[in-house]
This record gives sequence, structure tokens and C-alpha cells, in this order.
Amino acid sequence: MKMRLEAKLALFNALSKLLLLLTGALVIPPVVSRVAVGHTDQRLHEKMGEVLSLIRRDGITAFVRTEHDETYADYNLLKQEYITLTPVATKTSHPGVVRIFDEMRQVDNEVEDFRILSYTLPNRGARTYHLEIGSSLATVELLTTTLRHTALWVLVIGALLTILTDAAFTHYLLRPLRELIQRKLRGVQHPSAFSFEPIPTDTTDFRRLDTSLSRMMRQIQSAFEKEREFMSNVSHELLTPVSILQSRFENMLQDPELNDAHSLKIVDSQKTLYRLRNTVKTLLLIANIENEQYLRDESVSVAAVLADVINELEDRLAQREIRLLEELQPDYVLPAANRTLLFTLLFNLISNAIKYNNWGGDIIIQGKLRPEGGYRLAVTDTGPGIAPENIPHLFDRFRRFHKGGASPEGYGLGLPIAKTIAEFHHAELAVESTVGQGTTFALLFS
Amino acid sequence: MHVLIVEDERSLHQEVRQFLLQAQYLCDSAFTFAEASEKIFVNSYDFVLLDLGLPDGDGLQLLREAKQNERQEASFIVLTARGAIDDRIKGLDLGADDYLPKPFSLLELLSRMQAITRLKFGLKRQEMVFGNGFHLDVTGRTLRYEGAEVPLTKKEFDLLHYLLLHKNRVLTRLQLGEHLWGNVLEDDSDSNYIDVHIKNIRKKLGHFAPADFLETVRGIGYRVSEQLSN
Repeated sequence: MKMRLEAKLALFNALSKLLLLLTGALVIPPVVSRVAVGHTDQRLHEKMGEVLSLIRRDGITAFVRTEHDETYADYNLLKQEYITLTPVATKTSHPGVVRIFDEMRQVDNEVEDFRILSYTLPNRGARTYHLEIGSSLATVELLTTTLRHTALWVLVIGALLTILTDAAFTHYLLRPLRELIQRKLRGVQHPSAFSFEPIPTDTTDFRRLDTSLSRMMRQIQSAFEKEREFMSNVSHELLTPVSILQSRFENMLQDPELNDAHSLKIVDSQKTLYRLRNTVKTLLLIANIENEQYLRDESVSVAAVLADVINELEDRLAQREIRLLEELQPDYVLPAANRTLLFTLLFNLISNAIKYNNWGGDIIIQGKLRPEGGYRLAVTDTGPGIAPENIPHLFDRFRRFHKGGASPEGYGLGLPIAKTIAEFHHAELAVESTVGQGTTFALLFS
Repeated sequence: MHVLIVEDERSLHQEVRQFLLQAQYLCDSAFTFAEASEKIFVNSYDFVLLDLGLPDGDGLQLLREAKQNERQEASFIVLTARGAIDDRIKGLDLGADDYLPKPFSLLELLSRMQAITRLKFGLKRQEMVFGNGFHLDVTGRTLRYEGAEVPLTKKEFDLLHYLLLHKNRVLTRLQLGEHLWGNVLEDDSDSNYIDVHIKNIRKKLGHFAPADFLETVRGIGYRVSEQLSN
């Protein structure tokens, strides 16, 4: 079960207290009755001892007039206790044996439950006497009920109090962990946003966790910085020579004495250089996006970016007599996006849809909310389609298809860039294609 | 117009210098941070072309220092091959007037410099007159022939404007393409979009007057050859 540590501890604590309470409720009543009964029995034994010693001192005759065969009975005021001495036939009982049992007895006009000690005195002269000492069970029961209730209340209140104090204490104890998660882990998407400020705590485990975490984050950050620096140096080293050549070719083309043959060669070299330049720039763009060199701090409307892209591309659509159908139902606003990159992404998808479409074909742009949440933006062309075996390689960087495949020249650099930008925005770029019918590139924003 | 070129890469420095000299600019050179810092302090320039990656200091620092001087009137164009986006933002925030990522086209550099000059001297309404009666209104983005509007698309207008800016020069398809689609990376160098644009422009202009000033230079590109009066 997925829960926070604090919640788990509180839950465990409450459950264990509940278990304790249940055990208490089960165990306390029998124990209390046992104790009360034991206590009563002990008192009965003590009373028997007193009565016997009185008999020894004063002789049985002080209590019973033997000749009349009468029962001696003594009750206290409220009839809670009684003592009787009854002459019995010798055979009916076993002398010298003490028995204790519960039984009903009628005292005056009331029948009550009594705890009774019965003892047959050993032969004293001609007669045998039976001693009975009773203690009313009503008093014992009252006592046990009170005891039981008190014990249970103490238990319940104690349990509630400890649950509360324990929860408060764990809350206090786990505060450094909460802060660690809040300040250092949650919402930190990128090494440049790491925080190394130590979390205040005197719990050594948390301190160790915090220090190790900070150390690892520093390592990641430094590796990241190195990579960023490397990319920066590489771009400088690669783009500077390209820059020199580009300027040189431009200057050479301005030279009035340049003959036609050389002019053509320079234009050709310029083409080659542009290819190199675009390859390098694409690599750098992808690397920079993957290194999180771009911000995602704008909320961007898909319709607005799409309008910009279509505005840029309207001449190309017109040139190839392609109809463009736009159905955004509804528009979607990406909360954290980079508008420039989104422009590049949609530009690449739509310019591909123009480039690889048939003359006079259609492009359908559909946007709709996904039932599982998020948004789906699909760009569908009516071009020749892409052969199934080529689809897995569409997004491979710098891979070109073999000539003669379903795709005319290969999709070039546009798609790897599009995919990288989609991932930067936590979106998936999916392709569906039917040879002879067309291709759909769908952006699935979550 | 007096330009200081701050660039440590000698070959590139040389090419930029040669190009600007041909375009009638006076050029001064600095190859290091120290040299540039001193020259900016002592002389007065209209433009400083500033490379950020100097061997002995950060170009941005130079920009910061220069902008603190209130008498500084030069316009700064930042040139960099670092390519990182944060440089771009920093450069613009610190008062650079424009920014060109390397590699850049010299023609693009020149047209940016001309745009800055126009802004600086408050030329609010700029018109180019060409082809015996065509008026290109750069601010209003319209083309007229004797009062009648010639309908051009956005890209056609940009293309014609760029050719007119660099009149009497041959512009290759790549240079034109880079100007039109500069922000987008494409490996589409063989595409004929530019040719179609030119064909359409010719057709549209041809309704009003012969458009033979818009020449095709076979295998190379296009050129507007004429004496223009602004």
C-alpha cells in the first residue's frame, strides 16, 4: 500500500493500541472476577479460622445447646454475611474438608446468591457440627463491575492519549525528512535547480541521508556542467570554421572577376557547407534540448503556434496546391512550454506533410482532448505513406532510407528534432502510415 | 560609418572586414578583449561587431562596460558560436542591438546593420523606388505601382526586399532561403521554393511593368540590377 511514512506509523500505532484495548476488554473482566472471588474466599477462610478459634476457646456449647439440637445462626445487619453452625448426622458429611461454592440461600424473605464456605467440624463428643460461612455475591459483583469499568476507561483514555502524543512526536521527528523531500526532490527536474542547503536536524540518520544526497547531487551537477561546457566548446570549435568558410564563399561570389565555372563550384561548395552546418546545428540543438538548456516557462496555446507556423508555410501550401484543414476541438494551452521549440516542432511536422504530400493533396490537423487526460494533436497527410519496415527508423538521427523506398528522400533531420522537442514537453510522438494513403504524426501530450 | 570588428578568429575577421569595406564601411580591428576595450574607450564607432568568445575575456563583460558609459553611441551586434540560449537572452538584456549566431551570412549582417541605422536616424517611412515606377514601402510592407497595390505574400515581399537591399549583387538560393527561413533548420537545399517565389513575383510585377531588372544568374541565383533611388 502506498502511504507516507508518517501515515504508516500513525496507522500502525492506532492499530496496535486498538489491539491492546481489545485484549484489555477480553482479559480484564475474568481477571477482576478471579481476583474478587479469590479475595472473598480468603476472607471466608480467615472467618472460619476465627470461628474455630472461638469454638476452641469457649467450647461448642457456648454456641449451641446440644440438648436442643438447634442451629446457631449469626447475620450481620444487612444480611450480607452469615455464619451458621448446624448439628448433622455423622454419616452425611466428610469431616475436616473445606468446600467453597456458590449457592442460593434464603435469608429472611429474600433469596440471594452467596459465596459459601462449608466445613464439617471433626467429632466433638457425640455430635457432629457443620459450619457454613456465607458472603453475599451481590457485593462482590458490584465491586467487580466497578473495577472492570474503571480499568477499561483508564485503558481507553490512555490509548487515545498515547496515540495523539505518538503522532505528534513522529510528526516532529520526521520533519527533516519532509523538508528533504519538499526542498530537494519534489519539483526539481534538472541539476541546475538542485539545492544544497543542509536540512536542520539532530537525527543522525537524516543528517547522513541529507549529506549523501547532497554529495550525489553535486556529482550529478558537476557532470552536467562538464557536459554543458563540452557542448559549448564543441559548438564553438565546429561552428567557427564553418563560419569562416561561409563568409569566404560569400565574399568570393561578390568578386566581379570570378568566371562562371568557378562561380558554380563555389555555389556547390556553399551547398555542401550548408549541409554540414545544418547537421552540426541539428546535433547541437538536440544536445542542448536534452541538456535542458531551454526553458519551459511559457503557457502556450497550440492554436496560436499553429497559426504562426501556417502563416510561415502558406506559400509552400499554395505552391503545391495543398489544402490544409484545421480542426482544433478545443484549443489546448500547454502550461509549461517553450514557444520557440514548439514552433520548430510543428513547423517540421507540417513542412514534412507538405514536402511528402502529393501535388494537390490534403493536410488535416486535428486536435482533441484525450479521454485519459491530456491532448492529441495529429497532422495527417495524403502522401505516398511510409513502408512499415521504415517506420521504426524514422526518428533515428541522420539515418536515410534506401532510395526506392516508399519515402522519396528520407525524412531527414526534421523528425529527430521533432521527437526531441516532444519529449522535452513530456509528449509522445506517434506515427501511423498506410502506403498509398498517407501518414499521421500524432503528438500525445499527457 | 565606422565599424569596430571584435573577433579573435583571424580568417573570419578578415572576411567580415573585406565585405564591410566593399560595402563602403570604415573598419577598425580588435583581436583581443584588451584591445577592444581600449579602442571602444578611445574612439567613437557607429557599430561594434562583438564576438563573445575572446581569448582574454568575456565579450559580454565588454558589452556591460561599454553600456555603462553614457556617451557610448555605438550599436552592438553580438556574434557568437556558443549557441546556448542563455547567452542570447543575456546579450539582448545587456543592450546589444542585435544578435547573430555563427555561422551567419554576411548579407544578413549587412541588412541588420542597415536596419539598425534606419532606426537610429529615425527614418520612419522608408521607400524603395525601382523599375520605373514601383514603390516598396518597407514600414507598411506594401508594393505599389503608380498608386495601385501589387499583391505580394509575406515571403514574396521579404524576398523582393532582400534582393533590393543587396541590389547589384548575386544572391544564391541558399542565401535567400536562409533569409526567409533562417530560424528553421532544414536539409532542403535542393528545394525549388525560391524559384517558385521568383516566378510568382515576376508574374505579379509583370502585370504592371516589365520586370526584367530581376535577373536570373544561371546556376547561381538571382540579382536585382539597377540604379535605385531611395
